[in-house]
Amino acid sequence: MIKFEKKSLFYKVYIWLPILALFISVFNEFDLNYLNIDYFSFNFPFILIFYFALKAYQRFDYFLVFVAGLVNDTVVGLPLGLSSLSYMLICIFATYLRNITISPNLIKDWFYFLFIISLINSINYTVLFLFFSYELDITLFIVNNFFTFLFYIVFSIFFKRFLKSLDD
Amino acid sequence: MAESRDDFIIAIRSAFLKKSTKQKFSLLTLVFFSIFIIVLSNFNFKAITVTKSIIKEIVYRSSFIVSIPENFIKSSYLNLNEYTNYYKEYKTTREELDQLKSENISTKIIKSENEELKSLIDGYSFTSNKILAKVIVDHESPFLRSIIINKGSKEKIKIGTNIYDRSYLVGRVIEVNYTNSRVLLLTDLNSNIPVSITPGNVQAIVVGNGDRKGEIKYIKNDLINKIFDKGIAYTSGTGSIFKSGIPVGTIDLKDKTEKILINFYSDFTQLKYVFAEIDELMPIAVEIEENEQTKFSSNTEQIKLDLISDELQILEESNTKFLEENQELNTLTNELNKQIEILKAENDFQKNVIQQHNLDQDELEFLRLNLIYSSKCQSKKLFSTGFKVGTPEYKECIMRKGKTSD
Repeated sequence: MIKFEKKSLFYKVYIWLPILALFISVFNEFDLNYLNIDYFSFNFPFILIFYFALKAYQRFDYFLVFVAGLVNDTVVGLPLGLSSLSYMLICIFATYLRNITISPNLIKDWFYFLFIISLINSINYTVLFLFFSYELDITLFIVNNFFTFLFYIVFSIFFKRFLKSLDD
Repeated sequence: MAESRDDFIIAIRSAFLKKSTKQKFSLLTLVFFSIFIIVLSNFNFKAITVTKSIIKEIVYRSSFIVSIPENFIKSSYLNLNEYTNYYKEYKTTREELDQLKSENISTKIIKSENEELKSLIDGYSFTSNKILAKVIVDHESPFLRSIIINKGSKEKIKIGTNIYDRSYLVGRVIEVNYTNSRVLLLTDLNSNIPVSITPGNVQAIVVGNGDRKGEIKYIKNDLINKIFDKGIAYTSGTGSIFKSGIPVGTIDLKDKTEKILINFYSDFTQLKYVFAEIDELMPIAVEIEENEQTKFSSNTEQIKLDLISDELQILEESNTKFLEENQELNTLTNELNKQIEILKAENDFQKNVIQQHNLDQDELEFLRLNLIYSSKCQSKKLFSTGFKVGTPEYKECIMRKGKTSD
């Protein structure tokens, strides 16, 4: 198990790791595209934001998430503010789930996550198609939605370990 | 019932409005702020445009730096793949190179003629400079296909500037910042390219399929049969979005969905450097025009001269052969003429001999008849009917065997 001196620089970086990971992923569009697997993509920021908003992680500043959304829009080429709106909606839904849940359950969270990302992707698709006249392939959205849903369970294991390491 | 509704409202309010000690803004504020930005970014006010441009400049540069580790992994993975296919690719490339070399000469001629004709059509000439640009961000979104290059309005890049990978079309610029630009790749669903397909010269529109290929759309049904597998698609220049004659890709009819697909020449996932074609419309001044035209024409003339000199050499060689043959024939003719002259002389001599022989025969006959009839034809007395010896009348009388008149 990792043990830190609480005042060390490494500890300070470590507690900001979720935000750092979020920024790296939006700057980098980390999605394993170079593997050239047809119809494979997932949205790592969605997983990360949902998990840490759900767990009410202290260092997970919503304003920084908002900025990360702006960065994502700029890198990907989407209308500025759209990803920020998506990320904020995820935060709202996650906070709502946290407020109404007495005993957290990973499987319930998982399917709730599926509902949220489906809703947000639908909003994104509708906004882009209707207001910005983007030609988009709905199949790609569905595939992205599906893999994001699948990967949630994998990443949640890592995130749980991360939170546990901080508690210890 | 009322209690559960209250719980719901409390949960919603809490989610939207409550902020913990570490949060600077409530989620509701940020949601409104997001919507405000979306709406605002659609207005083309100068302040907004400049702000957007600055954000993009910073984000693109930062993204390039952050991407270095992932790009390293990516390039290592691709290099490994390349090494495994190295020999096979080498052989294919060599064959292609041989073919290209042969095609290059005819292309040069066509190009120079094309330039000359274009300059004749209007008084303007497009001077196109291809500038090298580095791809700084190539993170493909699952839904959009675009790249960021490190050349912008500073280098005179405009919206619509054509982007190439070697001589193959890659896409066009859709967003320009001061030092960088976004290029919409041909594979994007929003990309429409007017193309001509050979053989058959079929006109069509290629639309990106959002993955790695293009799909042929907007084509007349009766023209579909004119399209063959491996046919070449190049830009037709319709709509002036792309220049004409730029290679785009080859036709792929092997798709199971019966769609007509295009395999692009360039692999858009491997782009590191691209060329941006900067077009400037330059009016040709009278003096410059002459020089330019002279330059254009001198290039063309040079090529034509080379061709003509080749032809001339061939003609000279054949001419020399003809001259040699001609000389031989002349000599033969002279010899034959000499022979003819000799034969003529011989003939004349023979004729003279024959004539002499005939004269001798006449004389002999005259002498023979003279011996018999001389008494009848001679004039011996004063009143006789004969003729004086030696006169033609006497000779005629002898030849008529003594008869003095008819």
